[in-house]
Amino acid sequence: MEMIIAGLLDSISPASLMFVFLGVAIGVLIGAIPGINGPMAIALFIPVTYYMSALTAIGFLVGLNKGAFFGGAVSAVLLRTPGTPEAAATSWDGYPLTQQGKGEKALRMALYSSVTGDFVSTVVLIAIASPLAAVALFMGPAEIFALISLALTVIAGIGTSSISRGLMAAGFGILVGLVGTEPVTALTRLTFDVYQLGSGLSLIPVAIGLLAFSEILLQLEKFTVKGGGKQTIHESSTKLEDRMLTFKEFFASGKTLLRGSMIGIGVGAMPGLGAPVASFMSYDQAMKRSKNSEEFGKGSLEGIGASESANSAVVASSMIPLFVLGIPGNLAVAMLMGAFMIHGMQPGPLMFQENAQLMYGIYGSLLIASLFLLVIGRLGLRYFCKAVNIPAMILYPIVVFTCIMGAYLGRSSMFDVGVMLAFAFIGYFMRKFDYSYVAFLIGFILAPEWERALQQVVIISEYDTYMFFQRPVAMGLMALTLFVIVRTCKLNIKSGRKKQVEAAAAKAGQHKAD
Amino acid sequence: MTRIKRDSIAYLAIIGFCILMLTWGIPTYTPDYPGYGASPALVANVSVGIMMFMACLSLLNIGIAAYTNKPIPAEESEFPEDMEGDAGFTQVGRVKLKHLASTMIPCVLLVVAIEHVPYIFVSFIFLMVFQYVIGSRKWVQSIVVSVILTAVLYIVMRYGFGVPIPGPQIF
Repeated sequence: MEMIIAGLLDSISPASLMFVFLGVAIGVLIGAIPGINGPMAIALFIPVTYYMSALTAIGFLVGLNKGAFFGGAVSAVLLRTPGTPEAAATSWDGYPLTQQGKGEKALRMALYSSVTGDFVSTVVLIAIASPLAAVALFMGPAEIFALISLALTVIAGIGTSSISRGLMAAGFGILVGLVGTEPVTALTRLTFDVYQLGSGLSLIPVAIGLLAFSEILLQLEKFTVKGGGKQTIHESSTKLEDRMLTFKEFFASGKTLLRGSMIGIGVGAMPGLGAPVASFMSYDQAMKRSKNSEEFGKGSLEGIGASESANSAVVASSMIPLFVLGIPGNLAVAMLMGAFMIHGMQPGPLMFQENAQLMYGIYGSLLIASLFLLVIGRLGLRYFCKAVNIPAMILYPIVVFTCIMGAYLGRSSMFDVGVMLAFAFIGYFMRKFDYSYVAFLIGFILAPEWERALQQVVIISEYDTYMFFQRPVAMGLMALTLFVIVRTCKLNIKSGRKKQVEAAAAKAGQHKAD
Repeated sequence: MTRIKRDSIAYLAIIGFCILMLTWGIPTYTPDYPGYGASPALVANVSVGIMMFMACLSLLNIGIAAYTNKPIPAEESEFPEDMEGDAGFTQVGRVKLKHLASTMIPCVLLVVAIEHVPYIFVSFIFLMVFQYVIGSRKWVQSIVVSVILTAVLYIVMRYGFGVPIPGPQIF
């Protein structure tokens, strides 16, 4: 009890409150700018958190992520350009409302739905993470090894149309993650005689390069090609009923918001699915169950609520696998995991024993961030709307220079800036050739833990290759890994065959026409 | 070049990289087995093995499809145009090398120059060049952005975080 009170008191210290507030505000602002998303913002701001305490840093980054999730809705509603992928479903109903002059009303609905989903999800996280972590403590190195293998396999399917390319990316990530000092011999490995690599590649330049800089390279490409055409926002109606959201209107979507929150929690708790899945699933369910399903896609407040409550609920619930098992479920959480490690903590069930006060402090910061999101969103909505129109000529130099200096900040080393540029180059090609950088990054982060677990298994079992067969949970997880690979391959083959049939039909049709 | 040809070349490049790592990179730059635990090269070999196996499998798949003369889906038989939609993840499309070089070269030059030229000058010049490269021709705006950004980051790094500024100092 003392720990809980001490942790909560830490979370309401002036420094912690200030940085959570700043995190949410910057997050909403960044999320509102099309092309910059939550994980990218976390990668850019992790170097800044070097100079903060662990609680302040995590509170700031969590606030940033929560803010960015709502921020994505701003450009989705006003410009039909989702600031983040998960806000795509929000634009389906948000933009038609903007066209009707009700953009402000749509944004208010998005804000209140976001806060609802986020708050419900945070409460669920607080309620179940600790008891689940206590169960997870019974897992040994064999189970951890099997679990990481499963997580890498599941995550290999994210962000690419082919699991084989996902696995290649994950394999490459693991290889890069092994560069540095080998844990058993304490000798350098895969450094190619470059002495700066002796301590390994730091997460910050790798993440900034892959997530932020390569994205900017791609956006600049389109920007230069299209000539950087500026989009205009539809004028908002001056009528009060078109701008304000009444209690009746909000509570009419109560069931949808609750369902959306539950879908978001479920999807977020499962590694590899991510917020866009939650958002589309919730929208689909809302449309099927709504009395006014014909209004969906034409400016339904319920549609906005379904999408936003679900995607915001993912933010907190995706931390469940991180806190319980030490496995990041999505990219934003992988970046948060990196931040935990930078501040000397290894995410996982032991955190509740080793850093109990900090964990309760983080819980407090999560709840405070929800409250700040409501306040900041409510007061600053009009100003954030202006962020969507920041000229690209000003925005891109700022982001590029921040990437360069962010990579430098971590270890005050220009070598890290070079590493960042190298990974931006790799990231550019990975995106162009459809290789998942998400799988790469998670492989990179999990590689040391995976190897450590394997070393422990080998040493404890005294080279008994049947070790896994004596541990039913580990065996079950390995079987599940194989099942995921086989099932995904089957689905890929099926989809490939379908495409071939379609191609054959198109060819036959062309012959007939000729 | 079609997407399928481009993918095949990529798979071949990956296989080449894996062979190089397995025969030279990993054996040369990995410590010897200390006599206990797993070999330091084990996980590295496994990860490279996964990459190589998957690349061979994908290449084989393409080869079989070509040998049996199966129709190729339109999206793979044509040149990979930029695909929208997968925002935030991969963005399959043409590699625009000229654009890539014009954006990366100033950044690489910045990394090289900053060790020899004071930060204030080099970052100002970099920002001016970068804005020119991305198409900005409003000189006043470019100068204002460059000056403000250089000054803000200098102040934040030097006085906010107390981080040593890269390169020779003039202040």
